[in-house]
Order: sequence, then structure tokens, then C-alpha cells
Amino acid sequence: MTEGNKTRREDQEEFAEARASLMKITLGPLIWALHFVCCYGVVAVTCAKGWDYGTVRAGLLIFSAGALGGIAVVGWAAWRQWDVSHTADPVNRLGRAEDRYHFLGHAAFLLSIISAIGVVFVTLPLVLIGGCQ
Amino acid sequence: MLAEPVARDIAEAQAERLRAAWATPKGWRYVTAVNNTEVGKWYCLTALVFMLLAGVMALIIRLQLAVPENDLVSADRFNQLFTMHGSAMMFLFAVPMFEAISILLLPGMLGARDMPFPRLSAFGYWCFLIGGIFVIGSIFFNVAPRAGWFMYPPLATMDEGPGSDIWLLGLSFIEVASIAAAVELIVGTLKCRPPGMRVNIMPLYAWYVLVVGGMILFAFPPLIAGDFLFELERSFDWPFFDPTRGGDPMLWQHLFWIFGHPEVYIIFLPSIAIAAMVVPTVARRPMFGYSWIVLSAVGTGFLSFGLWVHHMFTTGLPSISLGFFSAASEAVVIPTGIQIFAFLATLLVGRVRMTLPMLWISGALAIFTMGGLTGVMLALAPFDFQAHDTYFIVAHLHYTLFGGMVFPVIAGVYYFFPFIQKRLMSERLGRWAFWLTFSGFNLCFLPMHLTGLLGMPRRVYTYPTGLGWDWLNLISTVGAFVIAAGFSVFVWDLIRPKHRQPQIPRNPWDAGTLEWTHDVPEEAWGVRSIPHVSTRYPLWDEPQMLDRIDAGRYYLPDAQEGKRETLVTSVIDAVPVQVQRVTGPTWITLWAAGFTGGAFIFPTFHWYPPAILCGVLAICCIIGWLWTATAQVPEADSKDAGLGLSLPTYAAGPASVGWWAMWITMLGDATAFASLVFGFFFYWTASPDFPPAGALHPEARLVGLAALAFAANWALTVGARWLNRRSHVGGARLCLIVAPLAAAGGATALVWSVLSLDPTSHVYPAIHWALAVWVAVHAGAGVIMQFYCLAGSIFGKLTPRYDADIWNVSLFWHFVTLSALVTCAVLGLAPEAL
Ligand code: HEM
Ligand SMILES: [Cu+2]
Repeated sequence: MTEGNKTRREDQEEFAEARASLMKITLGPLIWALHFVCCYGVVAVTCAKGWDYGTVRAGLLIFSAGALGGIAVVGWAAWRQWDVSHTADPVNRLGRAEDRYHFLGHAAFLLSIISAIGVVFVTLPLVLIGGCQ
Repeated sequence: MLAEPVARDIAEAQAERLRAAWATPKGWRYVTAVNNTEVGKWYCLTALVFMLLAGVMALIIRLQLAVPENDLVSADRFNQLFTMHGSAMMFLFAVPMFEAISILLLPGMLGARDMPFPRLSAFGYWCFLIGGIFVIGSIFFNVAPRAGWFMYPPLATMDEGPGSDIWLLGLSFIEVASIAAAVELIVGTLKCRPPGMRVNIMPLYAWYVLVVGGMILFAFPPLIAGDFLFELERSFDWPFFDPTRGGDPMLWQHLFWIFGHPEVYIIFLPSIAIAAMVVPTVARRPMFGYSWIVLSAVGTGFLSFGLWVHHMFTTGLPSISLGFFSAASEAVVIPTGIQIFAFLATLLVGRVRMTLPMLWISGALAIFTMGGLTGVMLALAPFDFQAHDTYFIVAHLHYTLFGGMVFPVIAGVYYFFPFIQKRLMSERLGRWAFWLTFSGFNLCFLPMHLTGLLGMPRRVYTYPTGLGWDWLNLISTVGAFVIAAGFSVFVWDLIRPKHRQPQIPRNPWDAGTLEWTHDVPEEAWGVRSIPHVSTRYPLWDEPQMLDRIDAGRYYLPDAQEGKRETLVTSVIDAVPVQVQRVTGPTWITLWAAGFTGGAFIFPTFHWYPPAILCGVLAICCIIGWLWTATAQVPEADSKDAGLGLSLPTYAAGPASVGWWAMWITMLGDATAFASLVFGFFFYWTASPDFPPAGALHPEARLVGLAALAFAANWALTVGARWLNRRSHVGGARLCLIVAPLAAAGGATALVWSVLSLDPTSHVYPAIHWALAVWVAVHAGAGVIMQFYCLAGSIFGKLTPRYDADIWNVSLFWHFVTLSALVTCAVLGLAPEAL
């Protein structure tokens, strides 16, 4: 390795691999997936078994709000990790430890936006469609 | 240290040793090769041949439909043709092509010597070849499957003749091989990157491999579970999809499309990945918005799982359910769009050269965009109600498949051909091929939108005249032959002899990624020495790198012990952690694939004894292969990896690639199991008589006993690992003797508990049986593994220091124990709860 890397020894530790995980960037999409499966599953059972649609719908809407809240938390943490306002480097194209660290933040942040849009889209039918027909 | 020159004679001697270690076998032994470069080539060519065969079937289909009331082929033949065309294109071309290309290219892009498990790739390839010939060959005997490429029951379950079985067993066999390749590719990307290549600077292709590999792991298992149920119905009359006995054809549709829709993206994303390698090169600048592309790849990967019901809009599901899937189908457009905009942006800010690969990529973008637009239309349920099962769908799906798969792959062939064959393809022929295929394609498929809107259904073998379809069909047929002409030019260019060509430049496109450090003329070692990478486009940013690689100044420049080796690094930051010994040429993979093929193919004709014999022989081959080649005790604990770095030669548990492979495989396996459990609850929601009145339930006490036995087995297995680590070898062996007894006891108790139920009478007992059989088969595999470890311990392959095998086996049992306990819960508790 080159000299430059050694002087940044502390940074290396700060961005240690042990705390990083690829799975973290999928947290937002995982919330979307959970939300999707629950909405579809619960509604399917409701319609098949003739449960009361109104209550289920209210519950699912609250659940949707919760999912959005969860994604917001993930997104906020990712935004902090990306830290673009300090580094002024939105691209992170170098192979240093902090670049990798910010990059994972960036990716997680963008994914949480997509997941939020996904959750909103999937919630729309709950809002717009009033029953099981 | 990097700057220190290596003495000439030392470097020569090193190169000589490397060459010897990696030499490709010659003569008839060539088929025993396992190098990714050889296996990858065979794989690509085989997939191409299947593609051409399926293409010929399409031409026959088009000839039959050229004029009304045609009688070129019979209705039955026609059914076989379109079923085979669709199935072969999807299962024998599109998905295997991704794996083939990735096996061929990925190690080069990662500066690795080979994939982590070369023999597994070879095994996968031979399985694919055997299975593919079996499936596609059936059409020459007039017994091909004929219920459409998605095999809907009851049509497919009640179909006489072996067609459906050929589809089910042949393709399941190939799916298993696909999953093996996916495991290989994921582990390769995670653990075999060059030192310094952190996740934020991997080539984009590697990101796509990760995403697509992950999707295969979650998409294929539901289909395998579906195939399992389907084949149980076909062979033993267990009524999973038969509504008269509580079954439900809709379950198949769900399982099929949970696979089928992600499949479309499994096909599409790798092609985008090729584009992501070509676009920066032709634009001569780094990809614009790297993180955005990663986002769209990962995002598409996830969202594409929320779309499956859009293939079932007309099955009478509640409209609110359709709403969810319609919404998700529209949402997936966002990441897909971002991807394409990132490409366009890169092209706009760069200085683009219209090379041949770029020409094909442009064609792809144009066609795919059009397919995407009709896709957005179809995702709206009311529109789909109108267009469903018409030629509008045929047009839509070919626009997405040609634009999203065929064109980018051909672009990739032109782009990577110098890397693969060390030759160039012809510029002039390439342009001919492009314009013929492009115009032929639009001539063939554009009119189909109209044919469909005018009401012509898909999958009809003929039609009456006077409905306004005649001219449109004739034009489509002419177009199909123009495509065929374009393809012929392409294939000729691909295979024509090129030895009179002068030696090509090493980096003909002036690309920035590692694969272009390849050796011209060819060397089988992959890379002379494994570089340290610090940017996304190392060849652009570090001009001295090539010379240093060639001079053997980086890692692993030598093969002192004459063994094949590659570097294993950590998952996120690619810190070197191990020198991995990889396997070399062998016959055993061919034998294993042959017998595995027998185990799948004989049941098609209900010849069970030879099938069982083949199964046993396949297991023996695989055990022999693992025993002699994996997790070998090394001659020294660590070795010099170059650049003053000393690395271990053996790893166990999460540090080893084998453990990762097991983990990933079991994730897929768990998904298949989850699909079966899903089936159980699906029946419960879908039918009022589940369980039917007065049904017998599994024997609760036996189920409880099974749960206890499986728990004990788990504790013993983990205990064996623990004891062995702490040098209590005797105790560990004792555990490994008792554990299999417990496991076998558990499996027996579980099967016993359902023994009094009659699986042919109703779906309720049948699904109990299916779950019990599933667990019992897995327990059997686990028992073999335990004995394998016991033997390892006795014969010195498994020691307290070298214990990778038992780590992997206990990991296997974590998963199987979990599924056993879930099964016990379903069998024992569900009767009470429902
Ligand atoms: C030479 C180029 C091709 C032509 C002329 C062609 C033609 C056709 C036609 C006419 C059909 C409709 C058959 C019917 O409904 O009666 C069809 C179906 C289909 N094609 Fe193609 N095709 C071509 C290439 C491809 C490719 C490259 C793929 C996939 C990678 C593909 C995948 C499919 C699938 C999945 C079906 C549906 C089969 C079914 O209905 O079960 N085709 N093709
Ligand atoms: Cu779809």
C-alpha cells in the first residue's frame, strides 16, 4: 500500500469494515418488501375470509405510515453517513476507506428514497379502492 | 517495493511455473478443463446453439402464420413449437447466457485467476448441456411439452404423454445448475476481488452480478418448489392443483410468476451490466452517477419481486390486490428509467465513438424504450384486460426481450470478443448484421401490436381470412426472416476462421477496467500477478499498472508448489485474507453431471430403479470430488503472497469461501421451503374445505418426538464442532455418531406421523406429506454430511486446526433444523389453529 494510506491510519479505523455491511443498504427496500407483502397478504386473507375490510384498511394505513417513518429513519442515518455537505464530494470515486463509507451512505440514501416512493405507490390502492370486489 | 524490478530469470521461472499449474488439458482431455475461460466459452456457445434452435422454431411458427388457414404444421405440432420456443429462449438461452458470460468475464474484471469453485462451474455446465439437449431434443420425437412456457394446470397436469414431465424435470435440473452458478458468481464477487477494490470502486458489472445472483436465489426456488408439487401430482396423483380434491391451479400461477417476473429482470439486468461496461469506454469518461446505477440495480432487484400478479390480472383476484401489483409495476419504472438516464448522461457529456458495440447498444435502447412504454400500458389492469393473451403481448414481450437482452448481449459479444478470442470481429459484417436484425425486428414485431389490438389471440395455430390480420401476419413473417438473415451474418462472423488476422492490440477499445490487462497471445493463468487497485478505472488512472502486472510485481506472481491459487479478500474493503487453492481439471464433474442427469431424466419415463441408482452414483461422485479436492490440509499454514505479505492457506467458517457458498445455497433452499409453507397457507385462505371436514391429522405425539430429535441432532452437530475446535476429538466423533441417529430418528418420526394419511385423497394430507418428504430428504443429505465429517476426523482431513468441513455442515444443519421445526409446527399445531 502507498504512504498516503498510512498517514490516514485513524480514518481507516474510524471507517472500519467491522461496522459496515452490505446488507445495510438494503434496509429501505426490505421495509418496502415487508410492507408490500403484509398489505397484499392481509388484504388477500381479509377478502377470502370475509373479515371486516374497514378495520383492516385502517390498520394497514397506520402500518404504511409506520413503514414510511422507518424508511425516513433509515434515510436520515444514510444521509448523515453520506455526509455530502462536509465532504462536498457526491461521487466518492476513490478507493479510500472514507470514500467507501460515504458511498454506502449515499447508496442507502438513494435506496430509501426509492423505497419511500414504492411504499406510497403501494398504499394508493388502499386509499383509492374501497372494498374487495 | 512495487518499483523494485524482478530479475529477468526469476520472472521467467515464475511465469513458467504458473503456466504449468494453469495449463489447459490437451487432446480429448480438453473436456476435463475447468478454467473459467474454457467453461465460459462452452457455456456461451451452447446457449447460443439452443437460441438458434429456438429461433428456427420461431421461423416455423411464423411460416405457419404467414397466411390464413395454413396447414404447414398441425395444431399439436404448433403447440409444441411455441411452448418449446418460449421455454428454450427463457431457460436455455436467456438465464444461462448471463451465467455463461459472467463466468467468462468476471474473473478478468476482478483480476482474479479464476472463479472460487471452478469445478462447480464445470459441473453446472455439464448439467446444463445434458438437461438442455434432453428438453430441446424432445421436439424431434414429437413428445415436446405443449402447454405453453408457463405450463398452467389443469391443462399441463392432465396432458397425456411425457411432455409436461420433460419440461418439469428437465428444467428443474437446469435450474439447480443455475443456482449453483449463481452461488459461484456471488461468492466470486464478494470474496475474489483484487486487494484494494472496495465495494465503491468495483466495476458496475460486479454490482449487477451481485444483484442478479441474489435475485436468482430468491426467484428460482419458488419455481423449484412448484415443480416439486407439480411432479408429485403428475407421478403420484397428489392433487395439489386439482380443484376437485381441494387443490388449486392458482397456486401454480403464483409460484410460477413469483419466479417469472423477476426472471424478466434477471434477464434484463445483466444486459444492462454489459452496457454499463461499454458506455464509459465509448464515451471515454467514467460512468456518470455510479451510485445512481447501483441504486437502480438494487432497487429494480427488489421491486421486481412485487410485480408477479400483473401476469394474473385476468384471473378474478380482488381488484384491490390487483391495485397493489399495478402500483408496484409502475414504481419499478423509476429505477429502470434512472439507469437509462445515467447512460444517456454519460454519453452526452463524453466524446462518443460510434463503435460497433455502441451501435448495438443504441439499437437496444431504442427497442427497449418502446417495450417499456407498452409495459407501462399493460401494467394498468383495465388496459391489460383488453390486450391479455393477444399478439399485443407477443409484441411487448419481444420488444423488451430483444431490446433488453438480445441486442445488449450481441453488443457485449462484439465488445468482449477480443478479450475472449484474442481476435477482432468484422466491422463491415457487424454493421450488416445490425441493420438487418434491427429493421427485421421492427418489421416483424411492430405490426403485431396492431394485430393484437385487432383481436388476434396468441398461441393460435391458424386463423380465418377476412379479419384484417392477413397482411399484418405476412409482414411479420417477412420480418422474421430478415432477422434470421441478420443473425446468420452475425453467427458467421463469430465462427468464421480468423487465424490469418494479425495479432490484435491488447486493449483495442482503450477501456479502463482490469479485464483488458489480459495476455495476447492467450495465457491460461488469468492474470500474471494480481494487482492492487485503488480506482474505478485502473487502466486509465494508473498507466504503469500493466507493466507491473506483466513483470509479476504484484501479488501471487508465482506457483511455487505447482498448485492453482487465487487471492481471497474481505467482503467490503477487499483486504487480502487468504491464498485460496482452487481445483484443476478432472473427469469427476462429468461423471457427477451424467449421473445427476440420469436421476432427473429417468423419472420422466417412470423408470424409478435406474433413477435411484443414478442418484446414488451421483452422490458418490460428488462425495469423492469433495473429499479429494476441497478443504485440503495444506503443507504449510501460511505462504508468501508477494509484496511482503504472508497469508494463511486455509480458512474455516465465515472466513472461507466454502462457508459463504453454503450460506448462500441454503438461503435459496430456505426460500424453496418457504414457498411450500406458503402453499399450505394459500390453500387455507383459498378454499373453504381446508382442512376438509373429518380429515385425519398428523399424529401429534410423533410430530413432537420429531421436533425433539431434530433439536437434539442440532445440538450434537454444533457440539461436535465446538469440541473438535477445543481438541476433544474423541468427544466430537461421539457426537458425530449419535447426531445422525437423532436426525434419522427425527425424519422417521415425521414421516410416520403422516403415514396414516392418504395423500391422493385430498390436498390437505398431500401437502403434509410434501412437507415431511422435503424435510426427510434434507435430513438424509445432512446425515451423509455428518458421516463425511466423521470420516474426515478419522482419516486426518478434519482436525481441530483444519475444520472447515464441520463448519459448513453445522451451517447446513442450522437451516435444516429450522425448516424441520417449522414443519413440525405446521404439522402439529395447524390442525388446532385452523
Ligand atoms: C427470431 C426471433 C423471434 C421470433 C420471430 C419470435 C416469434 C415468436 C412468436 C410468433 C411467438 C408467439 C407464438 C404464439 O403465441 O403462437 C413467440 C412467443 C414467445 N417468444 Fe419469441 N420470437 C423470437 C425471439 C425470441 C427471443 C429472443 C425470446 C426470449 C429471449 C423469445 C421469447 C418468447 C416467449 C417467452 C414466447 C411466449 C411463448 C408462449 O406463448 O408460451 N422469443 N415468439
Ligand atoms: Cu412481469
